[in-house]
Amino acid sequence: MSDVFDAVMLALLIATAVTVARARDLLAAVVIFSMYSLTLCLVWQHRGAPDVAMTEAAVGAGVTSVLFLITIARTTRQEKP
Amino acid sequence: MRPWSLLLVALVALPLIVGVAGLPRHDAPDAPIHTHVGTRYLERGVAETGFKNMVTAVLLNYRGFDTFVEVVVIFTALAAVLALPRGETADPDHAPGQRAPADDATGAPEPGDDAVATAAVPATSGPRDGSDAGRAHEVVPVSPVVLFVVRILAPFLSMFALAMLFRGHITPGGGFQAAAVFGAVFIALGLVFGLGRVARLMPTGLQPWLQAAGPLAFVFVAWFGWRLTGFFLGFPIDDHTTQEGMGFVLEVAIGVGGGVILARLFLSMEA
Repeated sequence: MSDVFDAVMLALLIATAVTVARARDLLAAVVIFSMYSLTLCLVWQHRGAPDVAMTEAAVGAGVTSVLFLITIARTTRQEKP
Repeated sequence: MRPWSLLLVALVALPLIVGVAGLPRHDAPDAPIHTHVGTRYLERGVAETGFKNMVTAVLLNYRGFDTFVEVVVIFTALAAVLALPRGETADPDHAPGQRAPADDATGAPEPGDDAVATAAVPATSGPRDGSDAGRAHEVVPVSPVVLFVVRILAPFLSMFALAMLFRGHITPGGGFQAAAVFGAVFIALGLVFGLGRVARLMPTGLQPWLQAAGPLAFVFVAWFGWRLTGFFLGFPIDDHTTQEGMGFVLEVAIGVGGGVILARLFLSMEA
């Protein structure tokens, strides 16, 4: 069961990471990237590191996403080809 | 170009994959992390440091110097951001939130931008708020759902941060985690109610001291420990009350200082 959870989470991590790298719409990339952080947060918690999980949720999913959102608002939403 | 980038990715990825494959199993008892200092921390950590949480014991006591430098790094990051030239909006004298009219042109979303842009510019703050009233016509109001959720969540998040700060010695959490949540509360409130309005919550005179709280507390505790034990940042092994007191000062300073620094980083993007 534990290994299945890990496998699913790692697959999700890889999938979200690849999607972020391929996304042309930067807003979509930011949203998926915060999903990546939340998945990683679950992995930390599952691996017995609640301290790291809390930091990941607050900084990775929360603060960093807002930073990127402000940056997009100041620049443009579409990646230049 | 493309084959070269693929080759580069392969060159980076191959050592990484080989390295990860060579790691010991997650629960292997003979893994290097279990055969060196870790065992000693687990066996004698509570007796030697007085902290009931192993993470706190390692962070503040066994690896106190690392944490000291970490705190200094965070403070330096803020100093570097504040030292950046801000282009035509630069006006070092005005307080955050007291924006000059010239700021309007750069702060407003461009016509081509869509929904995202509205999230990052300050919301209309009503007629009471003089500083934002001038640009109200450019600002799209925040969705009532977001406003409601942030309003409801903010007190709970603040309580959560306080709980992590003050119970960090026995439960997961501590200064750095509390700082992250404190900062997140400030930023969420700033996005919904306007960063200028949130900036005024922080007293201007006290701000430099709050931002430097982490390094200052470390210097103070290090000096205190030096007086007691003869070592810089030394903790008296026999006196658990003093040790916990020193740890408490450090945790609170890390929590408050880190939170203020995070919030200030975001405020400096607006003001």
